[in-house]
Amino acid sequence: MANILVVEDDKDLNNAYKIILESENHTVVSAFNGKEALKALNSFKPDLILLDLLMPIMGGLEFLQHYDLAKEHPDVKVLIFTNMENSPEVTEAYKLGAARCIIKSWTAPQNLARVITDTLENRAVNVAS
Amino acid sequence: MPPSEPRTPIASLNLEEQRVLAEALFTSIGDGAIATDEFGKITRINPTALKLLGYTEREMIGAWFPKKIVSIHENGDPVSLIDRPITRAFLTGKTIVEKTYYRKKNGQTIPVSITVSPIMLSGKPVGAIEVFRDITIEYEIDRMKSDFISLASHQLRTPLSAIKTYSHMLLDGYMGDITAPQKKSLRTIVSAANRMNELISTLLNITRIESGNVTVTLKNVDVEKLAEEVNKEHSLAASDKDITLSLHCSGKKTTVHTDALLFKEVLGNLVSNAIKYTPEGGKVALGIKNRRYDVLFSVTDSGMGIPKYSQEQIFTKFFRAHNVVKQETSGTGLGLYLVKGLVDALGGKIWFESSETKGTIFYVTLSKTGAVSAPAGDEEV
Repeated sequence: MANILVVEDDKDLNNAYKIILESENHTVVSAFNGKEALKALNSFKPDLILLDLLMPIMGGLEFLQHYDLAKEHPDVKVLIFTNMENSPEVTEAYKLGAARCIIKSWTAPQNLARVITDTLENRAVNVAS
Repeated sequence: MPPSEPRTPIASLNLEEQRVLAEALFTSIGDGAIATDEFGKITRINPTALKLLGYTEREMIGAWFPKKIVSIHENGDPVSLIDRPITRAFLTGKTIVEKTYYRKKNGQTIPVSITVSPIMLSGKPVGAIEVFRDITIEYEIDRMKSDFISLASHQLRTPLSAIKTYSHMLLDGYMGDITAPQKKSLRTIVSAANRMNELISTLLNITRIESGNVTVTLKNVDVEKLAEEVNKEHSLAASDKDITLSLHCSGKKTTVHTDALLFKEVLGNLVSNAIKYTPEGGKVALGIKNRRYDVLFSVTDSGMGIPKYSQEQIFTKFFRAHNVVKQETSGTGLGLYLVKGLVDALGGKIWFESSETKGTIFYVTLSKTGAVSAPAGDEEV
C-alpha cells in the first residue's frame, strides 16, 4: 500500500478522498494548497501526489514548479485531479511531469481508487474515469 | 437637397468637388487611415491615425511608411518588411486584412486590425491606403471570456464533485449499510448530477470551440479500448431501454494520434444520442474499421431516423428534428453541433446516412497521424 499526499482546497472533497484512499489501506496526508503540500513534504515521502490545480495561496502548477518533479523526485507520481477539462493548465501540468490527469466531477470513488492503483503500477493510461 | 431628388453622381462632380469629398471622407472616418505613394511614402494621414499612433501630421507626411509605423509580433519581435501587409499589398495588387501590433511614438504597443488596399492604375500599384483600428477592447473581451470559461468550469463543478463523490460513497457502503429505497434515491441524485455535469461540459466545450480556445492534446490512443469504455459507460442507459449495445472491431490494438478526451466526447455523444432516439428493444452498434490512412468509426441505430427535410440542419446549434421533439423532450439540440465542432478540431470528418423509421448511421473518420482525414467515400464504408 502506498503513501499518498492529497492536495485539494475543498475541505469536503479532501476529506472524501482521505476516507476513500484509507479504506484501500493507503496512508494519506492532506494539504489544502501547494504551500501546505511543500511543507508536508518535509516530513512525508509520498509515492503519489493527488493534486488539484486551482487552489488559493499556491496552485497546482506553481507547486509543480517548486517541487521540480523531473529532476528531484522522479519516482513520485503526480495525478492531476481537476475540473479544468481540456485547459492549457492541464497541458502545462503534463509538461511539468504529471503522470495523468482526471476530471473530478466525472470520477466516482471506486474509479479514483482504481486510477491511483493503475498510476502507481505504471499501467497504460485509462481515460475512462 | 430634398429627399426625393436624386443625389449627384460622383462622376458628375468637378475635380475640386471630388477632392473635397475624398478629403472629407478620409478625415471623418472613425478608423485610422493612411495613404502612401507608390514608394510607400506617406502622403496623407487622418486625425484618428495620428491620435492612435501619437504622432503629429508634420512628423508623418513624407516619411517611409514601413519605417515610421513599426509593426511587431505578439512576442515583441519586429515584423519583417516582406511580411508587412503594405508590402504584400504592393506585391500582389490585392487587399490584405490582418491583425498585428503597432508601436506608438511613446513606445507603447497596441493591437490593431488593418486593411491595406493598393491603389491600382492600369494594373500597376500607384499607392496604397491603409485603414486600421485599435482592437485592445476586443482582445480584453477575449481574455475575459477565456477567464470566465476556466472559472465557470471550476466553480460550477466543485460543488457537483462533492455531491457526486458523497452520493457514491453512500452507495458504495463507505458510510455503512443503507436500505434499497435509500439506494434508489441516491442513484437518482447521481444521475441528475451526471446530467448537470454533461450540460456544463457541453456548454463549456461549445464556448471553447466558438472562441477558438479548444486545447487539443495529441497522443497515441488505443481507440478500440476507448470505444469499449464508451460502450461500458452507456451500458446502463441501454439496458434500461432493453437496447442491445454492441461493439464491432478487430479486437486488435488500433492506434490513432488524437486527443483521447475530446474524441471520447464525440463517440459518447453519438452513442448516447443513438440510445436516446432508439425505441425500446432496439439495437445500437459502435463499429471501428482500421483502414489504410485513417480509422472509420460508425454508430448505427435502429431508431426513428432523421427526416429528409431536416438532414441539412442536423449539425446546427439548437436544432432538433420534429419527429424527435414529438417523442423525446429532454434534448438540448447542442449534442451534434458540439460533435461536429470537436471532429473539426480533431481534423476528422463526420457524415451520416438516415432513413426515417429505419434508423441512422453516423460515420466519423480520423487520420491515424492526427492530420486531416481523406474525404468521405474515399474508401469503401
